[in-house]
Amino acid sequence: MREATSAGVADLIQEARAVYRDDLAATAALEGYATRLAEPLRVAVAGMVKAGKSTLLNAIIGEEIAPTDTGECTRIVTWYRYGHSPRITLYPVVGEPRTLPLKRVEGRLVFVLGTERAQDVERLVVEWPSESLRAVTLIDTPGIASLSEDVSARAVSFLTPGDSPSEADAIIYLMRHMHASDLRFLESFRDTEAGRSGTVNALAVLSRADEIGAGRIDSLLSAGDIAERYRRDHSLRKLALGVVPVAVLLAQSARSMRQSDFESLAVLAGMDRAAREKLLLSADRFLRAGVPEGLGAEARASLLSRFGLFGIRLGVVLIRAGFTDPTPLAHELARRSGLDPLLAMVDRQFHARADALKARTALVGVETLLRTSPPPEGAGHLAAALERLQVNAHEFRELRLLAALRTTGTSLNDDLAFEAERLIGGAGTAAHLRLGLEPEATPEAVTAAARECLRRWRLVSESPLTDRSGQDVCRVVMRSCEGVLAGFAALQLNH
Amino acid sequence: MAETPIPGGLAKTPDPAGPARPSTPPTAAQLATLVEQGIELVSAGDRADLRKRLDQTLRRLRDPSIRVIVVGEFKQGKSKLINALVNAPVCPVDDDIATSVPTLVRHGDPASASVLLPRADAEPGDEAALERQPVNISELATYVSERGNPGNARKLVAAEVFLPRKVLAGGLTVVDSPGVGGLGSSHTLTTLTALPTADAMLLVSDASQEYTEPEIRFLKQAMRITPSVVGVLSKTDLYPEWRRVADLDRGHLSLVSPDIPLFPVSSDLRLEAARLQDGELNTESGFPGLIGHLRNEIVGKAERIQRRSVSQDLLSVTDNLRLSLQSELAALEDPEGTPAMIAGLEAAKLEADDLRKRSARWQITLNDGIGDLIADMEYDLRDRLRRIQREAETAIDLGDPGPTWPQFSKWLEECAAAAISDTFVWTSERSQWLAAQVAEHFSEEEVALPVLRVSDTGDALDPVDDMPRLDDGKIHPMQKVLIGMRGSYGGVLMFGLLTGVFGMALINPLSVGAGLLLGRKAYREDKEARLKRRQAEAKALVRRQLDDVVFQVGKQLKDRLRLVQRSARDHFTEIAEEHHRSLSDSVAAAQKAATTYKLEKEMRIRDIKAELKRVDALHRIAESVAAEPAVAKTATAKATAKPAGSQAAPAVVAAG
Repeated sequence: MREATSAGVADLIQEARAVYRDDLAATAALEGYATRLAEPLRVAVAGMVKAGKSTLLNAIIGEEIAPTDTGECTRIVTWYRYGHSPRITLYPVVGEPRTLPLKRVEGRLVFVLGTERAQDVERLVVEWPSESLRAVTLIDTPGIASLSEDVSARAVSFLTPGDSPSEADAIIYLMRHMHASDLRFLESFRDTEAGRSGTVNALAVLSRADEIGAGRIDSLLSAGDIAERYRRDHSLRKLALGVVPVAVLLAQSARSMRQSDFESLAVLAGMDRAAREKLLLSADRFLRAGVPEGLGAEARASLLSRFGLFGIRLGVVLIRAGFTDPTPLAHELARRSGLDPLLAMVDRQFHARADALKARTALVGVETLLRTSPPPEGAGHLAAALERLQVNAHEFRELRLLAALRTTGTSLNDDLAFEAERLIGGAGTAAHLRLGLEPEATPEAVTAAARECLRRWRLVSESPLTDRSGQDVCRVVMRSCEGVLAGFAALQLNH
Repeated sequence: MAETPIPGGLAKTPDPAGPARPSTPPTAAQLATLVEQGIELVSAGDRADLRKRLDQTLRRLRDPSIRVIVVGEFKQGKSKLINALVNAPVCPVDDDIATSVPTLVRHGDPASASVLLPRADAEPGDEAALERQPVNISELATYVSERGNPGNARKLVAAEVFLPRKVLAGGLTVVDSPGVGGLGSSHTLTTLTALPTADAMLLVSDASQEYTEPEIRFLKQAMRITPSVVGVLSKTDLYPEWRRVADLDRGHLSLVSPDIPLFPVSSDLRLEAARLQDGELNTESGFPGLIGHLRNEIVGKAERIQRRSVSQDLLSVTDNLRLSLQSELAALEDPEGTPAMIAGLEAAKLEADDLRKRSARWQITLNDGIGDLIADMEYDLRDRLRRIQREAETAIDLGDPGPTWPQFSKWLEECAAAAISDTFVWTSERSQWLAAQVAEHFSEEEVALPVLRVSDTGDALDPVDDMPRLDDGKIHPMQKVLIGMRGSYGGVLMFGLLTGVFGMALINPLSVGAGLLLGRKAYREDKEARLKRRQAEAKALVRRQLDDVVFQVGKQLKDRLRLVQRSARDHFTEIAEEHHRSLSDSVAAAQKAATTYKLEKEMRIRDIKAELKRVDALHRIAESVAAEPAVAKTATAKATAKPAGSQAAPAVVAAG
């Protein structure tokens, strides 16, 4: 099914290229869509200024390459994609792209723009040999609600262009608390995207979660409570697939923990408790203090800037609790930072749907092209093919229904609507997630559960009290159940 | 006489270091004694009008209140800042959004708390309509926090906490406000409406990042109402790079206004310092600097303003007294010049009389100004709301308004609230400007401006009804069947009768088929018609709602502007009256003096001279009270402006 959709979209683009063969701009755009189908999914990281976008990006990549700073830092849209050897390419607004020198300070890249001003640069593309980038291309964007307005404007116009599909297939949106600007942006992202294709493809991240509780050791617990409240919030629910709290700084540093970091933490863990608490009272105190002896001024500064007070406190507690080796400690820190749930969510919501999301972007592109510059001939045929794909592909129907369930709602009662959302993949597209089972459920259990769901939904759809829109929902849900069953049947045949 | 303070004042200027003043400025108690002396003098002279004025001054002195409002985005640590300031957990602190009701923290012994509720039967906007309900200080959190009172469901106006703290002694009142920039601009409106009564505001932003655009936008809007701002950079304990952020913030602040100070503080360190009684930690928290600034600059400035207004009141009272005494004395000492002097006084009296008349120029300025202001304000409000209406109509045309109606009406309310808050700010600015214009007609001295509080309206939107519900477009299956039946009925009958001609039954496959076709068509048409109707209905609702807003808010604003007009008129009329009364007293005294016998004359001259001496003494003290801090604060324009102002006062006497 999935291959069929992708192939269908590829065919459609071929057809469109034939129709538009005389139009140079259109051909270029179509070629772009075709290559996009074959490339990894593009996920943009967006949010208000200083939400920790570049830091999260480093955490996902697992290497500290994106530059970060206390002041506002990212001013240019920067792409991070997989490449065999590191390379930075600058694409100016006008003129030919050129390669930038590869300069790194303490591991982080430094973009030497030379005479170019930030507003003359369309984007930077960083190719990096990192495993994490094989499956996904990450896009770092400048902050929204910045005091330098042109920087914000650049991010907004990149993510929500007026007349073409967004360059990003999906978006990870970082916020510190739900601010009115956050909602406004997410709304406009949904409006440009879903207005045309009807999907919700944003994940919200409560970033800097450690600071919510002022760096206390239980900060992430209360951040979790707040995320839960946002998850239920109606205005956010229809804009984002989920809300996850992440302590981005800790996540980044835990993924790239060095031996020296571990040694410093171990020295701190060896201190007397009262003295340590006094030391960790404030950042200034920690930097200034003379104790413990084994920790130099430079080591202190580096530890603090990489882990923050929360990270240090947590690291010390973990070492005292028995994580005495660097590797398990780094894993535990990464787990506690909330990065793992985020990665799992990205995996479930984005990677599992990568083909559908990419195909959808391409379809939106073709549709826009048809609307804005209709071809001299063959438009009707193309439009028909487009509509056939949009209506028939089950993935799109699932995405559309998911959006409908989250925004306008349906005529089904709340329990059924909730179950429908799960079955069409609202929590992730794996079979056990759809059916609400444990990951280790046996194929037999999964099949049985799927059959049961199918039977129940058939009853719902046949009930005379279910109206037309309800029946539409039932049909999509039943099709999803059948898809699960078919997948397992194929599996069993192969055995 | 007027020259006396200047040499004294100049003698102090060589020492520019502010705090090390040779003589400390008079305290509130000393000022009160001065005013009491004035009252004594006035009572002797039988001048009830002047006495009333001094009584008011005394009341103001006895109950000083310097309101400092703490503003900022939510989750910046505003409540904790106040807790650290007073070293008591009075404002609720939470990891999630905490404050939902403004909380006033002021001096009082013993510690107590109360909440202010609007009285059910009261008119909106009436200050006396608040009910004070004492609550247990430890339970305050259940009233003012978002957790105990989500979205202010209890409809509290404010909470008040009284604490026996030295910081608050001098009349300092700290107001905790719900954070702005959260969901919905209604909190921003609440904060903005609380600003006109504030003497200063503390803009709190944490050290995690430099100012964002919404913060600076709020600051600019708020500064139009309360120009005195102190920046506070909170949570410096958590961020090692706070010095960088502080520098960046100072840069941003200097672009807004050149002299906004910024104080980096850490509330956690201060609270910890209080717990451990650790002085060093307290210094580290940065609070001593902030408190010093609050005490010297904010409270100090408020005190300076108070001293000036006390001195102004005393000066004007003594001038009024002196005028009649001096003219009587002159008439007694120099009987030949009396008629000329009386003629001069009469002329001045006539002039003063003009000021009292309805046709006086200042009255015309005031009436015209208010008229213009009302017209402009209505236009401004309508213009803003019309733009919202247009936007709303476009949005309705784009889709089915039924299912999204609740969100839509919320959006509309927020937009309207934002527009109204802009209009309020603007109207308040304009009325202050108008008062200054009117004051220009009173050329003889620095005339005090009336206190106008136009934008003090938290409840402007209260009388506007909530948006009515809109049919969400879902219809019952039964209704669908009925709609279909209604359409098919005619079809079945028509074709049944037609085929009846060929001898078929009324219900036959042909007629049923036609019925089904027509029924479907009817249903589809009905659906479209319903959507059109919903859109039209939604537009009508929006129009009606905004009309309602214009009507109600316009009425409220008009009422307030009328109030401004009335209070300005009363204020300036009183001044004119006092002046007139003094002049007529002088005329009467001079006339009396001309007919007095010689023996009485000498006694009277002695009396008057003694009285004048006392009045002059008070006058000199009053002048020095005002001049002293002004000169001490470096010899700026303010310092030179003051003596110039007091020189203008004797000019009136010379004219008489």
